[in-house]
Amino acid sequence: MPKSIIVIDDEEVVCKMTKMILEKEGYEVETYTDSTQALARIKEKRFDLVITDLKMEEVDGMEILRTVNKLYPDTELIMITAYATLDTALEALRERVFDFFPKPIKIEELKESVKKALGT
Amino acid sequence: MANIPFSRKFSIRQKINIALTIEAAIILGISIFIFFTFRVLLSKIHFIEVFDDINISFLEMRKAEKNFFLYHDISALSEAYTKGEKANYTLEHNREGLINVLGRNTYLSIMASLDRYLSALQKIKKDPANPVYETHVRDLGHELTQMCVHLIRREHHKINRIIQRSALMLILSFLGIFISQLLMWNYFSSFLSRKLSKMESLTSMIARGQFREVAEKRTEPEDEVGMVINAITRMAQELEKREEQVLQAKKLASLGVLISGVAHELGNPLNNISMIAEGYLSYYDSLSDEERKNFMQEVQVQGERIKKIVRNLLDFARQKKPEFKVSSPTEVVEKSISLVENQLKVSKIRLHRSYEEDIPPIYVDENQIQQVLINLFTNAIHAMSTGGDLFVDVYSSSDRGKVYIKIKDTGTGINPDLLPHIFDPFFTTKGTKGTGLGLSVSYGIIREHNGKISVETEVNKGTTFTIELPAWKGEKEETHA
Repeated sequence: MPKSIIVIDDEEVVCKMTKMILEKEGYEVETYTDSTQALARIKEKRFDLVITDLKMEEVDGMEILRTVNKLYPDTELIMITAYATLDTALEALRERVFDFFPKPIKIEELKESVKKALGT
Repeated sequence: MANIPFSRKFSIRQKINIALTIEAAIILGISIFIFFTFRVLLSKIHFIEVFDDINISFLEMRKAEKNFFLYHDISALSEAYTKGEKANYTLEHNREGLINVLGRNTYLSIMASLDRYLSALQKIKKDPANPVYETHVRDLGHELTQMCVHLIRREHHKINRIIQRSALMLILSFLGIFISQLLMWNYFSSFLSRKLSKMESLTSMIARGQFREVAEKRTEPEDEVGMVINAITRMAQELEKREEQVLQAKKLASLGVLISGVAHELGNPLNNISMIAEGYLSYYDSLSDEERKNFMQEVQVQGERIKKIVRNLLDFARQKKPEFKVSSPTEVVEKSISLVENQLKVSKIRLHRSYEEDIPPIYVDENQIQQVLINLFTNAIHAMSTGGDLFVDVYSSSDRGKVYIKIKDTGTGINPDLLPHIFDPFFTTKGTKGTGLGLSVSYGIIREHNGKISVETEVNKGTTFTIELPAWKGEKEETHA
């Protein structure tokens, strides 16, 4: 049974690329550019890993982290952001974030981090 | 009015001085008039005193004459003669004054009558028994007393008339002074209030921040108020300079905002390109031709995004002077509408135009104004994604000095908290779909046209943007460098 991953980023390119990369690694990947839809999907299905952008319209990345923490305490979290500041990093760590990627995402690092997070 | 050239030449102090001098001259004139009237009155009274003496002499003379004819007393005759002599002496003694008052002819005829009377007395003295002289003397005596009484009466009458006339004259002059005071007071108060209201309008223009308009009102000072007005216009000039400096400082401050905005805006597509490039390189061997094409197309899309941001940025930072020409407001509006008509149709938005007839022309860079209008239309369309009504009104102020273009939508409106920021660069409510430069560029363009842009909004009711532009007042000149 492949591990399931949800990727949320309002940049379509980021979604497409991560989906391609992670599917090649043998994971089952769903992507959303609309954070509201993503949140609804998370509420109905448990994923093994959530990769989310921090700054998004409508539902903020931080809110997604909080929801996942509440619903699925054993789901892993990876955060990506174009505007990395110390404050956002600290806040993310408080929400039990496994890893924190500034944009642009390096493919090798992402693969590495996902592997570690899912223990595969 | 006759005092317009007057008011052009003199200062307020000079005007007051002139008014006071004129009044002093009037009062002096009245005093001189009173002085001469009194002199005339005094001479008349003196004349009456003299004539009273003469009259008394005549009456005594005639009493003695009567005694002589009644009692044939010769001594009475000489008494009559003495009294006549005395009257003659008084007449001779006051000759100049009497000629002045009576006129030479009257004076001479009195003298002649008296002379005839006295010579008649002399004849009676020589021949007292002759009755021929009696009637003659009586007639002459009667004539003298009658003449005397008549003259006294006449002078009394004249005195009365002079007193009456001068009383009337005095009343009229005081009335004149009073009225001239009132007129003067009225003139100065209306003059001052006119000047003060001009000052008031200038200061309230300054309060509204219309420094340039005030600075342009500078004229050659005609008076003290003109000097104050000039001081105000100079102040406005200085304020305008200072405002420009403040604006410059604000621009510098917004440059910081601009740079961080550019960094954020350009960050996303650049990150995307970088990620695509890395993926392309990493997976090159395993990618099909179709997939490789997709990668490159994606790079192209991101490149377009960057181009769009840079183009908007250039519009924003544009140093180029706008190319002004005389244009019809409705034509500019129609041209802009034609560019968004399709979008309106797609978004199911009904367009309602309302153009005032015979609208005055405006002096604008048409492209820039179109840019502003298209930006406002686009915003309205985005605010009415589920359809709605768009109202476009073009009208002018009652003095035809200003042209207004009003764009009203029935969209989502703007949150009052966000309202103060909508003209800031990079402020957007549209996420990655907007650059946040549209309204800020529009604001700059309208300001450069000496116009104003204002906004009224109500959440879920809609937003109204109103552009105010100065109407073209010049000759029918078509273009301008």
